[in-house]
Amino acid sequence: MITVKNIVKDFKNMDGSVNHVLRGIDYTVEQGQKIVIVGPSGGGKSTFLRCLNLLETPTSGDIIFDGENITDPKTDINKVRQRMGMVFQTFNLFNNLTVMENLTLAPVKLKIMKEEEAKEKALNLLKRVNLEEKADVYPSSLSGGQKQRIAIVRSLCMNPEVMLFDEPTSALDPEMVGEVLDVMKQLADDGMTMVVVTHEMGFAREVGTKVLFMADGIIMEENTPDKFFTEPQTPRLKEFLSKVL
Amino acid sequence: MTIGEKFTSAFIAENRWQLYLKGLGITIEIAFFAAILGLILGTVLALMKLSTHRNGKPGVMHYIATAYVDIIRGTPSVLQLLIMWFIVMKSSNNGVLVASLSFGLNSAAYVSEIVRAGILAVDKGQMEAGRSLGLTKGMTMRYIVLPQAMKNIIPPMGNEFITLLKETAIVGYVSLNDLTRAANLIQSRTYEAFMPLIGAAVIYFVVIKALTLVLGVVERRLRRSDNR
Repeated sequence: MITVKNIVKDFKNMDGSVNHVLRGIDYTVEQGQKIVIVGPSGGGKSTFLRCLNLLETPTSGDIIFDGENITDPKTDINKVRQRMGMVFQTFNLFNNLTVMENLTLAPVKLKIMKEEEAKEKALNLLKRVNLEEKADVYPSSLSGGQKQRIAIVRSLCMNPEVMLFDEPTSALDPEMVGEVLDVMKQLADDGMTMVVVTHEMGFAREVGTKVLFMADGIIMEENTPDKFFTEPQTPRLKEFLSKVL
Repeated sequence: MTIGEKFTSAFIAENRWQLYLKGLGITIEIAFFAAILGLILGTVLALMKLSTHRNGKPGVMHYIATAYVDIIRGTPSVLQLLIMWFIVMKSSNNGVLVASLSFGLNSAAYVSEIVRAGILAVDKGQMEAGRSLGLTKGMTMRYIVLPQAMKNIIPPMGNEFITLLKETAIVGYVSLNDLTRAANLIQSRTYEAFMPLIGAAVIYFVVIKALTLVLGVVERRLRRSDNR
């Protein structure tokens, strides 16, 4: 479904030196898979994820989504993004809009749904995350866990074919992590294709089809969840696991 | 002369109060049209300054807007007014139009910096979230970023309007009878400086105080949506 070929991403530092964040990544995400990416910070996990919907433009390499090379400048990236949901660490709900407006803005303004239709869909999805009574409030009055569940719903309102999660629970108070992970598990059970960058090892083990270990800008190790945690191959992964488990 | 006589000669005699009133009318007219032009052009300039290519580098528009702001901010507004009156719009004898244009073009440079700062102060996650949903940059700007930027923009914008209103006092240079010039004329007629000049100052003060109060109300109303 998504194939990345030799993705490289360099950032120029202020002093002119170059920071190689991604050093050539090849990977294919198949339909229905839940790919969980873990690794030390600075290893390129988030940058890799943000390259998938071109929030970061790769320095070189190709990203093929559903047969279309989205790194080609001729591709209408907005059309591609409509089919890829993204959930951010800091939620990024639209502060000037109510929850309902947050959910319906994109489908309505992009003329994918009529307003009534979009509202109905939004309300149904809100019920699934038990937040239907929050439809008319502004994001500032919500807890972090509520914000993140609504951010997930906002992406789902676009009927995406794949969902990207960029450390969705890292900015949450510990007692709210569970409610967000539950929604993500529900989504996984429904068969959604997911790419998740996270530090939640329990989630990786339980939900992942494959777990990737990213460090130093490459995918250092890839395995099924069972083997990933019980039979790590590289010393880096062994070291990492000994620290986080 | 007693104070009463001075007052009478400065304001009452020969219906002189009408001159102040007419002058105030012209001052407000110029400031009003200049503010509107400044607001529109300033916003356009701010968006131009923030515009980028697909690769993230600043585009031609950015450099045009930057050059404009540099030139306007780098020259005195009196000189800009004189240039507009005696060179650019030499054929026009509509002084209010020329002055409004001149001050509007001037104000736009300052407004553009205010708007730009207001936009930059909005968390960049808001733009990313909009784009990740497939909204275009323009749509995200219009529905998400600009409405939030308004809250950052209103207070310094009030400041800019106040500066603008007072700066129009230089239109006497191109023979427009605004409030300041009206006071000046009456002074030269009565050989008395105190009453007309202080009188004009009081009128400016009252108008600007009223403007400040209105802006305060607008600001509070915008903030209210924060905590609903």
